[in-house]
Amino acid sequence: MSYALIIAEVRRGVFEERNLDSAGIAALLGKEAVMLLPDGAYQTGNIADTIVKVKVGEEVFLNPLNLKNILEKVFTARGNPDVIIFTHSSFGMESAAYTAGAFGFPVVTDVSGYDKERGVFLKSYYSDKIFGEFKANGGPVVLSVRSGSFKEFAAEKTATRVEEIEGVAPVEGRTFVEYVEEEKADVDITKADFLLSVGRGIGNKDEIPAYEDLAGKLKAVLSGSRPVIDKMWLPKPRQVGTSGKTVKPKVYLAMGISGAFQHIAGMKDSECIIAVNKDTEAPIFQYAHFGIVADIHKVRDKLKEIMG
Amino acid sequence: MPEQTATRVLTCIQCGKCTGGCPESGKTPFNVRMLMRKTQFKSNIEESLPWYCTSCGACTIRCPRDVKPSEVVIELRSKLVEDGEIPVTIQKALENTFVQKNPWGRSRNKRADWLRKLDFEVPHVSETESKRLLFVCCIQAYDPRCMVIPVNVARLLKTGGIEFGVLGEEEACCGNEIRRIGESGLFEELQEENLGTFTEYGVQEIIALSPHCMNALKKEYGDTGIEVVHYTEVLAKMVEGGALKFPGSFEKKVVYHDPCFLGKQSGIFDEPRSILKAVPGLELLEFSRARETSLCCEGGGGRMFFEVESVYQRNAEVRVIDAGKRGAQVIAAACPFCVMTLEDPATEKGLIVKELSEILMEVI
Amino acid sequence: MNILVFTKRVAATQEEELRIRDEGASVDLSKVPFKINDWDNYSIEEAVRIVEKTGGTVTAISIGDAESDEVLRRAIAMGAKDGFLVNSESVFHDPGVRSRLIQNFIQKENIPFDVIFTGVQSEDDQFGCVGGILGAVLGLPYSSMVIGIDAVEKDHMIIRRELEGGLQERIKITVPCVLSIQSGINEPRYVSIMGIRKASKVERKVFKAADYAAEAGPGIEVVQWAYPEKKGVATMLTGELDVVCGQLLGILKEKGVFQ
Repeated sequence: MSYALIIAEVRRGVFEERNLDSAGIAALLGKEAVMLLPDGAYQTGNIADTIVKVKVGEEVFLNPLNLKNILEKVFTARGNPDVIIFTHSSFGMESAAYTAGAFGFPVVTDVSGYDKERGVFLKSYYSDKIFGEFKANGGPVVLSVRSGSFKEFAAEKTATRVEEIEGVAPVEGRTFVEYVEEEKADVDITKADFLLSVGRGIGNKDEIPAYEDLAGKLKAVLSGSRPVIDKMWLPKPRQVGTSGKTVKPKVYLAMGISGAFQHIAGMKDSECIIAVNKDTEAPIFQYAHFGIVADIHKVRDKLKEIMG
Repeated sequence: MPEQTATRVLTCIQCGKCTGGCPESGKTPFNVRMLMRKTQFKSNIEESLPWYCTSCGACTIRCPRDVKPSEVVIELRSKLVEDGEIPVTIQKALENTFVQKNPWGRSRNKRADWLRKLDFEVPHVSETESKRLLFVCCIQAYDPRCMVIPVNVARLLKTGGIEFGVLGEEEACCGNEIRRIGESGLFEELQEENLGTFTEYGVQEIIALSPHCMNALKKEYGDTGIEVVHYTEVLAKMVEGGALKFPGSFEKKVVYHDPCFLGKQSGIFDEPRSILKAVPGLELLEFSRARETSLCCEGGGGRMFFEVESVYQRNAEVRVIDAGKRGAQVIAAACPFCVMTLEDPATEKGLIVKELSEILMEVI
Repeated sequence: MNILVFTKRVAATQEEELRIRDEGASVDLSKVPFKINDWDNYSIEEAVRIVEKTGGTVTAISIGDAESDEVLRRAIAMGAKDGFLVNSESVFHDPGVRSRLIQNFIQKENIPFDVIFTGVQSEDDQFGCVGGILGAVLGLPYSSMVIGIDAVEKDHMIIRRELEGGLQERIKITVPCVLSIQSGINEPRYVSIMGIRKASKVERKVFKAADYAAEAGPGIEVVQWAYPEKKGVATMLTGELDVVCGQLLGILKEKGVFQ
């Protein structure tokens, strides 16, 4: 039986959006998609041919040791799949490796592309500077897929079958205790996905609340360059740069920062850098992916206006 | 602490001359005299204190008993480095220097990138007849603001007919700040590597662009037999001998800031001034604290990588305010550290900071 | 508690422009400096902190070429008692091969341990698999993304795993086990050059990787190396303020940081 087994991620009752990428690569591989899920009431959408619900809670399902026992049952019932697909997340990274080890299957993680003609998986090396094209010797191959890489290929299925299977007895070696929200005593700018960073260009301290407001609307964390911290317009833990913190958010939106070297060193590895500055020659534009030459206050006010 | 240092500290008479000249004592919790006292009694010293020192050297110059307080601070830091208990930004700078031979952690393979901004070829030092090396410095090799300095000086030397070469990617950090941070092991490695390179290519003379590099290469690399000079010494001679002429004019009031490692620590006060005086139209002014008493910009001694609590007024700002009072339009410096620290507050107050070579490029 | 920590010497490529050689057959690392894998640095620090409290020893193990001795010296300088080098001149791209080599090494040499630490991933290949596969083949409980160790008892540990979006999960895991340590779990101490020099006096044992090679060959192979799709220079957004700001919000949505 030729099929792709998608191990879906459901966390705190939410079917994670990144499961779409798993469905996407299954479609790209041209396989029948069987999606394995824990018990619970949540929306999945019709992105698999078959949904198999396991009668266990998510905290049991999200444990690689239990998952191994669940998979044994699935393989016995349906035969081995051609490919087992995880999300490349905290759960997927852990369980893809453990599954590969437990069954002796080959594994490729952080897959962000698939070349159908040559049958090779693209995997990042050296922080995306180089990609390795991987081929599996035999199978089934275990994959963890990078979020955002395949979701466009996830097709709506006309008929999704839903099956239920009995759960497994949870192992004792590893057990879930509780969820913990990270302490938010002071914001850790190194952990933020989205930083709105302000520099000397904001002019004076009175402008800070308006940028705090913008950051709030954008759900971004506010940080700053050295001059802003020096003047105590923002607290020291919010400083980006060689004498502050080195950050690598998904998006770094720099407003009124010209781009002194010490600052650049602290943020240049951000996935996407957007710079707004009134000076066309500002060095930050050399490092930015997107640039806007404009009065930052006007951009700020316009953004707020659009967002309402 | 080495016995020699400990013995020296015991001779301290607590006169307080060190504190009197210290750019940090008084405004911050740092107090050199107290540190010497505590060291004498082997009492506990709060861990953050040694990091305030900018290594300007004023205390060591002023000390009547030759206690060398600035060296004692290095020893205190050394202990923290050995214990691994150091501010994370300093740690990063040291680890970067270990891997990439510059504190920024930029690729060593890009150390010679500034050469691309020149419209002529600079040979490798081994290919020169004079075996005269232009030693670039980590800041000027990588910092986009300061990268222009080696470019300018290379042009000026060429104009004046001085032959020189470079090491390119083979140059490693001189280790001046590394030693002052207290990482003597890493300093030794850098020294060994650079000396090995100098020997391999038969380097006879070094023109250092940064006063900090000059200090390390000249005074802390041991007896190398290599003559080490600062570029302003070379330019001053060229100006004096007529090899370098300034046909243009620079109609501005310029105040010259003495960098600590060039001025008070090396006694080079007149060369930069004589160069500036030779610039037509330039009116040279002096700070209220000039020459030996020049106020430190707070860029040295690891302070580039460590920010103290910013409730204290920065000396750079004090400097800029004084420059304004003197009626200066431009602050001239001959050190990349000074350029970087002075520029922030100067821009804010409408003054311009120029590295000396930048002024010269406007008049040749 | 006796802890084995795996540590790898990796190419420091963050600042480098990498070139592919031999028509895609290899990546040129000849001018790239090497360093300890960042995640392993956190692992060693965490292990050392645990034995400082509970007693026991930390043993650092590196699989790699002779140069990898450097990361062992470093680990010893941080507080590891022993350093073992499992010497191999070849690079294992398949984490399965690496994990089984480790399994064979530990079992054949009968190396005692309570806990095995690996980094979550290594900076070069970013596979993030060695710990997981090792846990499975040794038949031990496993957890990755360990961002906090709250309690260390004789027979179990209470740990925190980092999940997404500032969320963590606390779990109980029995000892012996395998844990992959996430960066940021602690602030690793600075290791001075003097410290490393002193550590050099501790003898590091060298083993030959060939003696522990797994019977099965690699499960995956690199067909060739490729460059990522080109990111251009900054795209300037121009036009009326309305339009530009609209585009900006569009980019934020596309990047998934703004709904």
